[in-house]
Amino acid sequence: MPILSQIGSQLIDLCSALLLLTCFAIVAQRRLSACVDLFALQSVFLVVTAALVAYLTGNHHIYIAAALTGVIKVVIIPRVLKKVIERLNVKRELVMNVNVPAGLLICGGLVMLAFFIAQPIIPLGNILTRDSLAIALAIVLIGLFTMIARQKAVTQLVGFLVMENGLFLGATAATHGMPLIVELGVFFDVLIAALIAGIYTNRLQDAFDSVDTSHLTVLKE
Amino acid sequence: MIAVMVMLIAPTLAGGLSLVVHRSSLLHAINLASMGALVASEIMITRTVLSEGPVTALGQFVYLDALSAFILVIIGAVGLACSFYMRSYMDEQVARGVIAPTRLNLFFFLFHMFVLAMVIATVANSVGVQWVAIEATTLATTFLIAFWRRRESLEAGWKYLILCSVGISLALFGVVLTYYSSLHVLGDVSQALNLTQLLPVADRLNPHVLKLAFIFILVGYGTKVGLVPMHSWLPDAYTEAPAPVVAMLAGVLEVVAVYAVLRMRMIVDHAVPSTFTGGLLALLGFASFVTAAFFILIQHNYKRLFAYSSIEHMGIAMIGFGVGGTLGTFGGLFHLLNHAFAKSLAFFAAGNIHRRFHTVEIGHVQGLVIAQPWTAMALMISGLALSALPPFASFASEMQVITALAAQGVPGMWLSSTGGMMTVTLSDQFSRVGLAAVFLLSAVLAFGGLIYRMTGMVWGTPPEGVARGEIWTLGHLPIILLAVALVGFGFFLPPPIRQLLEQATSILLLD
Repeated sequence: MPILSQIGSQLIDLCSALLLLTCFAIVAQRRLSACVDLFALQSVFLVVTAALVAYLTGNHHIYIAAALTGVIKVVIIPRVLKKVIERLNVKRELVMNVNVPAGLLICGGLVMLAFFIAQPIIPLGNILTRDSLAIALAIVLIGLFTMIARQKAVTQLVGFLVMENGLFLGATAATHGMPLIVELGVFFDVLIAALIAGIYTNRLQDAFDSVDTSHLTVLKE
Repeated sequence: MIAVMVMLIAPTLAGGLSLVVHRSSLLHAINLASMGALVASEIMITRTVLSEGPVTALGQFVYLDALSAFILVIIGAVGLACSFYMRSYMDEQVARGVIAPTRLNLFFFLFHMFVLAMVIATVANSVGVQWVAIEATTLATTFLIAFWRRRESLEAGWKYLILCSVGISLALFGVVLTYYSSLHVLGDVSQALNLTQLLPVADRLNPHVLKLAFIFILVGYGTKVGLVPMHSWLPDAYTEAPAPVVAMLAGVLEVVAVYAVLRMRMIVDHAVPSTFTGGLLALLGFASFVTAAFFILIQHNYKRLFAYSSIEHMGIAMIGFGVGGTLGTFGGLFHLLNHAFAKSLAFFAAGNIHRRFHTVEIGHVQGLVIAQPWTAMALMISGLALSALPPFASFASEMQVITALAAQGVPGMWLSSTGGMMTVTLSDQFSRVGLAAVFLLSAVLAFGGLIYRMTGMVWGTPPEGVARGEIWTLGHLPIILLAVALVGFGFFLPPPIRQLLEQATSILLLD
């Protein structure tokens, strides 16, 4: 059993690292549809991580969360976003607030910051999923950065979803899943939020003939 | 408990019915019935809580004490006032062709879901469920804010959705961290996020994790409260949303978000000295109060003026909670109540003015006392109450906060913990007097800004082409009642409300 859990721990760390890697790929990616694909890929890694944790800890309710992640974040949300992108007149992020190399450097700094913040509380965790909390925090911060650095409504939404993925990784890996009712509620909220944001993107397209949120500057002091 | 069931079922049922009913009078009747049921059950709950103390219901799902009962009172009172006001407001919008009659269904559905989410956030025992409910309020209100579907309202709605969702995600990380710390004490149980489980063992939770969790939760829910620097969505949303919706956002939603922060603080204070949470609250409170006071001075749009006034008053309440002690905490809670009433009254008046004058520019509104006497009275009373003049109750609560501030000063834990970067050389007494002086100065700025603008709008002669005189409608009823309450609370606080406030204060002080 110890060998199994050692391998399991390694696998979970590997998956968490892959999640983090896809974050960097999203930051480096300019094409909107590729961003969505990368998000879907990240969610696949998340499903694998959750399933691993469920198997190794014997907490069967995490399987439910993993299945829901698969359905909602790998299938439904990417599909909705792809549909939205099809309607848009711009397929690429043309102007970025921060260019790609600088963005990647900042993300590297954010990862270090996350490990620095999480350092005092990491020893608390169990052996199985020790570094996942720090990685989760890093993913949340990178998602936040993506939302600030990008101007298209779709990429901002992807940034938000990446943040959610980070949160879910934190909840699954570090604490072996939240109480089921909370997890179901979170999934529901994320799904609705993504759908609403999709509807907004359409309406913004109709009203402004663009989904560039830099046009949203009518309201200010 | 039946009352709890009623409180959860009434908005659900009303929301469902709103989707299938098509006559507007029926929609309004359903809305009023649901709100009436809500208020009735709240009265029952208040009585139970006052006589029996904290209770749990529905198998540990619901936890009620004086604090949550107090928040429920605010939800019920402002919600009922909004329902009356909507009767004339929404009908006029339909009659003028601003919205299609069929969209009224959507409006009421979202409104009921909004109320339901706030009720759940207030009564939930689990801080996780509370998070889900608060995120649900964001989702329910974003389309209400963008309801007019103009470019500006779409912009405001999108900003609100994105900023609040992100803020709320950070709060979820705080909840995850709380769970992380409680697992080590409680073991892997499905109730490790319940207040009833957390509070008894809170002093054994890991203080590092809780500190981090509190910072995330404060930033997250602080975004919903509209605390500076997370406030930038708020003035836009308050300008663009329909008046009854803004009254609910400003009067109730902010209070519910403050409540969520206070609940978390109760847990954290067991494990960490309360100066840590108090210092953070006071810091954000001061930032909001001072910033908003300056922005009030430069506003030329009356809805934005009230929006910044909301930020200002939430700042005052936060300073009260941050300073703590019986006086500060009581003052903070009482201020929440006063602000909820005054601000919903102000936005009802603003809605009436906008319908008559078709502008949000303060300079274009004149002679309100001739054009709309009732509205002029409401605007004046809310303006005076919001600038905390005696004899209004907000004067009393603001006095309590500043007295506590001058007597105790701001807890300085956050200063000493970052001591390397910030050297504090001010003596204790000097900083207390200095902070009180800053507080007073900001209060004077806000007072001057508000009163100057209000008098300009109320007096004078109305511009050409604006109809004169005001026809009595059902929408005037809540205006009168709120105005009476605002004046009355300054002289006499009804005993049940006073008891609720006192008990909620001692709950927050962990007695």
